[in-house]
Amino acid sequence: MILQMTNIEKHFGDLEVLKDISFEVDKGEVVSIIGPSGSGKSTLLRCATFLETIDGGEITYMGEKAAHTGSDGTTVYVPADRLRHFRSYCGLVFQQFNLFPHYSILKNLIDAPIHVQGRSKEEATTTAMELLDKMGIADRADAYPYQLSGGQQQRVAIARALAMKPEILFFDEPTSALDPELTGEVLKVIRQLAEEHMTMVVVTHEMPFAKAVSNRVLFMDGGVVVEQGDPIEVFEHPREERTKQFLQVFER
Amino acid sequence: MTISTMFSTMLVGMLRSFAVFMLTLVGSLPLGMVVALLKKSRFGLVRVLVNAYISVIRGTPLMLQLLVWYFGPFYLFGMNIGNWRFPALILGFVVNYAAYFAEIYRGGIESIPVGQYEAAEVLGYSKVQTFMRIILPQVIKRIMPSVTNEVITLVKDTSLAFTLAYQEVFSLAKQISASQTSFMPFVIAGVFYFVANYVVEFVMGRIEKALDYYK
Ligand SMILES: Nc1ncnc2c1ncn2[C@@H]1O[C@H](COP(=O)(O)OP(=O)(O)OP(=O)(O)O)[C@@H](O)[C@H]1O
Ligand SMILES: [Mg+2]
Repeated sequence: MILQMTNIEKHFGDLEVLKDISFEVDKGEVVSIIGPSGSGKSTLLRCATFLETIDGGEITYMGEKAAHTGSDGTTVYVPADRLRHFRSYCGLVFQQFNLFPHYSILKNLIDAPIHVQGRSKEEATTTAMELLDKMGIADRADAYPYQLSGGQQQRVAIARALAMKPEILFFDEPTSALDPELTGEVLKVIRQLAEEHMTMVVVTHEMPFAKAVSNRVLFMDGGVVVEQGDPIEVFEHPREERTKQFLQVFER
Repeated sequence: MTISTMFSTMLVGMLRSFAVFMLTLVGSLPLGMVVALLKKSRFGLVRVLVNAYISVIRGTPLMLQLLVWYFGPFYLFGMNIGNWRFPALILGFVVNYAAYFAEIYRGGIESIPVGQYEAAEVLGYSKVQTFMRIILPQVIKRIMPSVTNEVITLVKDTSLAFTLAYQEVFSLAKQISASQTSFMPFVIAGVFYFVANYVVEFVMGRIEKALDYYK
């Protein structure tokens, strides 16, 4: 088991965004999260990657507890230095790429491995070039992000996350900011990673992709997991009425 | 007096103006960053004090501030500090310009998309690393035009040093003009300021160009 999130609660002021969410991700598993806008998908990923703090529940990576709610109802995280260690387990690919514009493509990939993980420049560069090669953009290593298409930038962002050698990679709508003709090239590399059994959690509106690539699908609505299971089951024989209604919108 | 004697008499004033200019920059550029960061402090009291400092500095004339720095220690605390004129002058300029630079930095820092911080956080950069490696380089590029403006204003503001009877180029120009009944010293002073600003624009332009490699 890579990640286990149990009874997760999160609110922004009075707004309850996550209400008692539990799910887990096994090694090598690809989990897709689908659901309407505002259902809390991004918030869930942000809690899992420690960009947001949970208000209740438990987060466990590799069997080690990163946060839990005590008997007095307060949620405690491990101390900051330990949290860095938990952060190193997970990578996140954003909808808006968020590449560092002042760094070349290569430097985007090697800067954190060198300055955060303390790896040698040679090793980081070798890893980075292999990843860029895999993403089909090795020839753009010296370019700057603004010189690349959206699809290329997102592939760089995926490579940047992978360069940290995470145990699990999260994607928050990785193709939503792209022109339709560019989504294919990004989905292709995610599919390729799935074939290599990279553990991944993908929030997506690309239903055919979710159905074809994931081992499991979670349908979220209103801050709860309404339904989860085998993608064929969820997409073709949804049990819950809300799932049916949501999927109908994507039928045509 | 020939033009060249006027010029050489004024040369020392030019050097003095230049000294005020350089010392102000060396002091206020980093101090402004400290102020900008304190303005985002966790502690409410610090933020209140910093905001008060910035509004007082921006709301009163530099000339008045220079007088306060010079006479303040005596009238407020009864202190008589030897050789206080020059330190008071530089303090006045540095503290004044730091407030303006702080506001420029703050604007620059706030213009960086939150996604940059989040990407850095997920990659495990520490707060200091995030600021130094990811945020600050982008801030510098964005604020260059505003900094250039401020530096050009500073070149001209150095003439306010006459308030504390500091013999910079403009004070000398006035004196020589009066004693020689000649307009020439003002022309020389004008050319001096113009050339100085020309150099500033050139240098800043070079820096902006050097940062043009990304968008
Ligand atoms: N920082 C925040 N402060 C206040 N409210 C927030 C914050 N972040 C998210 N929300 C609210 O939480 C709810 C869930 O947001 P979230 O972004 O997780 O939804 P989502 O499922 O990712 O939606 P989308 O498909 O549009 O990306 C929304 O109502 C949103 O307005
Ligand atoms: Mg979202």
